[in-house]
Amino acid sequence: MAVNGKRLRDYGLKSERVLWPGKGPGVFETEVAALEERLMLTTLDRAVAWAQTRSMWPDTFGLACCAIEMMSIVSSRYDIARFGMEAFRASPRQADLLIISGRVVHKMAEPLRQIYDQMLEPKWVIAMGACASSGGMFNNYTTLQGVDKIVPVDIHVPGCPPRPEALMEGIVRLHEKIQAGVPPAYEIRGVAE
Amino acid sequence: MFETIPGVVETIEANGETTLVVDPAQLVEACLHLRDALGFNFLSDLSSVDYLGWAEEPVAGYWGDSGGRDLNAPGTAALARLPKPKPKRFAVNYHLLRVGPVAREARRVRVQIWLDDGEAAPSVVAVWPTADWHEREAWDMMGIRFDGHPNLVRILMADDWAGHPLRKDYPIGGEPVRFSDAK
Amino acid sequence: MAVTVPRIYEGTRIPSPIPTVLEVPEELRRSADLLEVNFGPNHPSTHGVLRLVVQLDGERVVGLRAVIGYLHTGFEKSMEQKTWWKAIPYAPRMDYLAFQANELAFVMAVEKLLGIEVPPKAVWMRTLLCELNRIHSHLVWLGTSALELGAMSPFWYTFRERDRILDLFELVTGARMHTRYFQVGGLADDIPRGFFPQCREFCEVMPKAVDDYEAMLDQNPIWLARTRGVGLLSADDAIALGQSGPVLRASGVDWDLRKVEPYLAYGDVAFDVPVKENGDVWDRYKVHMDEMRESVRIVEQTLEGMPPGAWIADDRKVVLPPRGELHTSMESLIHHFKLVTEGFRVPEGEVYVAVESARGELGCYICSDGGPRPWRIRFRAPSFVALQATATCMGKALVADMIAVVGSLDTVLGEVDR
Repeated sequence: MAVNGKRLRDYGLKSERVLWPGKGPGVFETEVAALEERLMLTTLDRAVAWAQTRSMWPDTFGLACCAIEMMSIVSSRYDIARFGMEAFRASPRQADLLIISGRVVHKMAEPLRQIYDQMLEPKWVIAMGACASSGGMFNNYTTLQGVDKIVPVDIHVPGCPPRPEALMEGIVRLHEKIQAGVPPAYEIRGVAE
Repeated sequence: MFETIPGVVETIEANGETTLVVDPAQLVEACLHLRDALGFNFLSDLSSVDYLGWAEEPVAGYWGDSGGRDLNAPGTAALARLPKPKPKRFAVNYHLLRVGPVAREARRVRVQIWLDDGEAAPSVVAVWPTADWHEREAWDMMGIRFDGHPNLVRILMADDWAGHPLRKDYPIGGEPVRFSDAK
Repeated sequence: MAVTVPRIYEGTRIPSPIPTVLEVPEELRRSADLLEVNFGPNHPSTHGVLRLVVQLDGERVVGLRAVIGYLHTGFEKSMEQKTWWKAIPYAPRMDYLAFQANELAFVMAVEKLLGIEVPPKAVWMRTLLCELNRIHSHLVWLGTSALELGAMSPFWYTFRERDRILDLFELVTGARMHTRYFQVGGLADDIPRGFFPQCREFCEVMPKAVDDYEAMLDQNPIWLARTRGVGLLSADDAIALGQSGPVLRASGVDWDLRKVEPYLAYGDVAFDVPVKENGDVWDRYKVHMDEMRESVRIVEQTLEGMPPGAWIADDRKVVLPPRGELHTSMESLIHHFKLVTEGFRVPEGEVYVAVESARGELGCYICSDGGPRPWRIRFRAPSFVALQATATCMGKALVADMIAVVGSLDTVLGEVDR
């Protein structure tokens, strides 16, 4: 992935995040912090990114089984409200994040693209689950083999369905990307082939 | 009990289920008789099956062979045999149920009609209104027309879709998978 | 209640000529100012990707048409491409709330054609898991339906209990949803230690939780106004429209496949079937609540009565041998190889098996040509049929009632569209 023409790796981001409690701040976190310096984000940029990540409102785009796991991160055990994201907006005009949870079929592809187009920039897309990321187990005449064929995707979350914790991991990584200064997916890449 | 139904060509008892093969031209009569005289007031399911390509490749008989599960019967092991041929290409099965105080054995029956490609079946929406969407799905997925259906349009696929996906000559579609020669 | 066979549809509220479409009456079409509104596939209150095209005369719904197919994933055709064993993971993803009922229907149908006997422990464990799944499905239904009618609190409470059930599933099967635990011949693996105490704890908590949900809703005047007398469906219309499950029982028909055609261990456990009379949204809500209580009773009884023994049938032509045997027995090695590469062959024939899922009669029709792959698999989805009743239930209701009606029919679009 490229930012201003250079890959993040060239800016110094080399490691994967290691989820070992009691070991942190890990190498990844320190690298992200250093990256913010190197990308020379202004204080204003950083403040805007901080604000964007702290109240990113998802759009209610639950399609199939993954939608049920998405509903359970709203519930009290996994509690997405601690990220300020429990306000799922029904209108795409008021939403920042599109969590495509479930299999997208060709008949639904047009409404999906319409919803995506109606969202105001900046907007991010999480392809939740195997079906949204790549078509999942449904490699057939009717299922879109990955929503990145029609919308640019920031984060793919694997799983069938992903555990709520896995979706949270995807959301947290999205927050970290935004805070590191990575632009939304529509600026750096288009849709897949 | 089933002798009084008009249009029954054959009665098959298998796997604990009764199948009545009915002549398509007399289907509505038979269904009305089943509903009114015999009490089958509930249409559970309407399944259409495409038998294109049936019995073209022999099925080897070693594992739970197609003739039955008795591996000790002489001559059954490892012999390839063809499944029994079917009369026409399409079968439409109506699974009927009697909702009410009836003995368990007499509660379900399957009515089966056989159709060629392009042949239309009479619609049973007037007999059981629940057949509306089932018949639309059979039209959409298999291309079987139902004469007398008030609204026979596509239901699952997009309105301008070409082809009938569940037919055996319709490809599975999707993307080719690398490193795999599976169909 | 005795059911009369509907002969002449006098007094029926099923619209005509198309039973599933509410047509705008002639006089309104010319005179009134009608507004056509699209409750599009992406709507927070339509329980999935359902599209309703309605014509409104003010607030009154005078025309209604449902458009489905926005989640048609081609299950039936995909399953035809796989072997019988590898087709099992497709089944739970159709009705993604009562997922084990789908697996059960498919696996029971294959076992019926194969003619293999499932050991009692597997039968009782399947019963237990199906009932837990029924509670799970009703909890999600209650949480989301109440949310759509404006009652936000029950959502948090029902999802708290739902997470407890998913913890139980994860303990037994390794996965929260889409467990794929039912194998042809029994279960995939033995029941782990620690399941029975945790399940008993859950059974102690659950009845009190159901009482809590009712305490939140039953006396609420808004809830009563929005559900009583709304979405009426008579018994005759329900049978004519093929309704089953809670919708049929709320309309006054005492019909539950677990009682009339007992399968698994339902013949050996004692439970009641809640039946109400009016057929409105309130009655469907009450049937769901009572069913949750009855399901807890069944779970307690299966916990007490769980027989010991094998968890899967012994038929090596269908069931994988235990891995320990592969080192010592040549036949086991060959069986394992043949089963994994080619799959077991199911004798030629066709069979229809119906189970009582949380939504109604879930039927699985399979047709085998004697080979390792299915020839045709068809699922009779109860939600597909339930949605057909929307037009009948609506009558001359208001827009707000439409949300209550669609919610009370408890449809899951995954199985509607398959």
